[in-house]
Amino acid sequence: MALIEVRSLSKSFRARVRASGFGASFHSLFKPQWRVVEAVKEVSFEVGEGEAVAFLGPNGAGKSTTIKMLTGILEPTGGQARVLSLDPSRRRTQLATSIGTVFGQKSQLWFHLPPSDSFALLAAVYELPRELFLKRRDELVDRFGIGPWMDVPVRKLSLGERIRCEVAASLLHAPRILFLDEPTIGLDVVAKRELRSLLEELRKREGTTLFLTSHDVGDIEKVCKRAIIIHHGSVVVDESMKELRHRALSKKRIGVKYGGPVDLELPGLSPVKRTADAASFEIDTRSHNLPELIAALAGRGELLDLTVEDEPLEDIIAEVFRGGNAEEARAAARATARARGGLGDGAGGGIDSGDEGGRAAGSQGVATGKQGGVP
Amino acid sequence: MRAARAAGAPRSLVMRYAKYFMAARLGLHTRLAYRGNAIGRSLTYGLFIFVYSRIWTTVMAGRTELGGYGLSALVWYFIVAELPSFAYGRFFGTVAEDVKSGQIAYLVARPWSFLGYGFAQAMGPALLDIGSFAVEGLLFGLLLLGDCPLRDPAQAGALLLSLLLSGVIQYHFQAGIALTAFWVEENSAFLWIWQKFALVIGTLMPIELLPETARRMALRTPFPWIAWAPGRIAVAWDGGLSPALLAGQAAWALGAILLSRLVYAAGRRRIAAQGG
Repeated sequence: MALIEVRSLSKSFRARVRASGFGASFHSLFKPQWRVVEAVKEVSFEVGEGEAVAFLGPNGAGKSTTIKMLTGILEPTGGQARVLSLDPSRRRTQLATSIGTVFGQKSQLWFHLPPSDSFALLAAVYELPRELFLKRRDELVDRFGIGPWMDVPVRKLSLGERIRCEVAASLLHAPRILFLDEPTIGLDVVAKRELRSLLEELRKREGTTLFLTSHDVGDIEKVCKRAIIIHHGSVVVDESMKELRHRALSKKRIGVKYGGPVDLELPGLSPVKRTADAASFEIDTRSHNLPELIAALAGRGELLDLTVEDEPLEDIIAEVFRGGNAEEARAAARATARARGGLGDGAGGGIDSGDEGGRAAGSQGVATGKQGGVP
Repeated sequence: MRAARAAGAPRSLVMRYAKYFMAARLGLHTRLAYRGNAIGRSLTYGLFIFVYSRIWTTVMAGRTELGGYGLSALVWYFIVAELPSFAYGRFFGTVAEDVKSGQIAYLVARPWSFLGYGFAQAMGPALLDIGSFAVEGLLFGLLLLGDCPLRDPAQAGALLLSLLLSGVIQYHFQAGIALTAFWVEENSAFLWIWQKFALVIGTLMPIELLPETARRMALRTPFPWIAWAPGRIAVAWDGGLSPALLAGQAAWALGAILLSRLVYAAGRRRIAAQGG
């Protein structure tokens, strides 16, 4: 059963164009110019119960806007979203009782008060009976190891301690879906690792559906089973982490070091780095035979060292962000087809096969007028 | 444990409103954590009372009454009428900052009324303030004048209710003004205008001292219902007039709530999320 259903979801708004110079500023008083920003363009996908989905994209791709539409904070300008079968923008308050949100860049705890006070307020906000609240609080305090900080004002906690308290607080009402927007931003390696394992444990133990945005590939690899990549407001990749990793695994980096200068001219292959006695290559195992290539390299001279590394997942995602090859267009088409199939009527949405729209600069227009605008 | 309280499950009235009580309590906790911040305002309030008692003494030299008020009544009026200014004067800032900083986007994601939560969180500390300023004002009044106009328990009850209604009016009008930040980046000028009208119409002096036409016009605005009504109840207790004053305040409180909700409903659609 899909807990989140999104079909051709769009959000555009108008931003006032501020021209430079006194004359232009004066002119804009009487004839303002507006730029239409399409923050999210016809995004379609589904998320099933218990899934852990990474929602990725570069800055300004539309991730936060999408999350805010799914949590009812923003009203879409097109398409529709259903979260737990509710329209988030119309049933925001009702929906809020069954979802949790963590925004890494905005604290939801009361800054001047200890987390214990925030927990008590949240229990009242979510209308939890007292016994249930105390049981759940103790369980979360224990599981997240936040006991020592519960009576310390939030402003005195480190970022890692605060985020753990934030996530624990967001789970107080046992939400069916937890939306996490950059939850590990600014955390050190240890804190990130701890938070990821807590999220993974939460998903396994309580079956909570996780919808996570992050720039940190570690979050995605450790927590999520599926990745949706959004760019310029459109979905460009929607596939399992297994598929995404497979792409990463098909790309290898080979480094060779010889005892002296060698000739490394190989047909169809040029090194990305080269010195007289060393070189490194990036190859795709789908177009190159790895054992043959290694044998060829070994035969070029006295081989002192040879390394074969997988291309980091981060590089694969960065490549998608840059829109570097046609593969993403095919993936986008698959994603669209999947979303359409799941949602039934097939109306609009997504990117058609070969369509470059998802990777082109976000469509923008200029309109004039007095009404509207965004602060 | 799954969905501690499932969406759409029946809710008791107590649980439904407990969140606002808790928000008021936490607002109060925060104020108590920073109680040193109130010292400056307490000093200012005391100084104002002293200065105005000297001004009224000079003005009343050779007179027994002005607009129906004697010297003692005018000073006590000022002491009471200043309470809403000092205790309720800072509601605007929090709401305006929530809108300008984008914090409002995170506050509306909770299952509560944004304005209801804001009101509760603001009124918790404001009630503490009004209590502490009232004690200070009472002490200053007794020191300067030697008597107290509050003699009847019904009068004290009416004054308390009047000050509460004054808080409802102040919060919701200030919130309505603050919410114009959805359209206007710099909206503190609107608050400045609001504060000056509130100061002149009913705070610095009773509206009975205004010319007749101005007085009648003033009664059709919300300003006298913030300070004049409690001030009048405190110094000129009248079993017949006071219910009418409270009713007038209640009507303006409802109007203020309605207005702030309308502004919020119009502005809420303009919450933007570009840039996360």
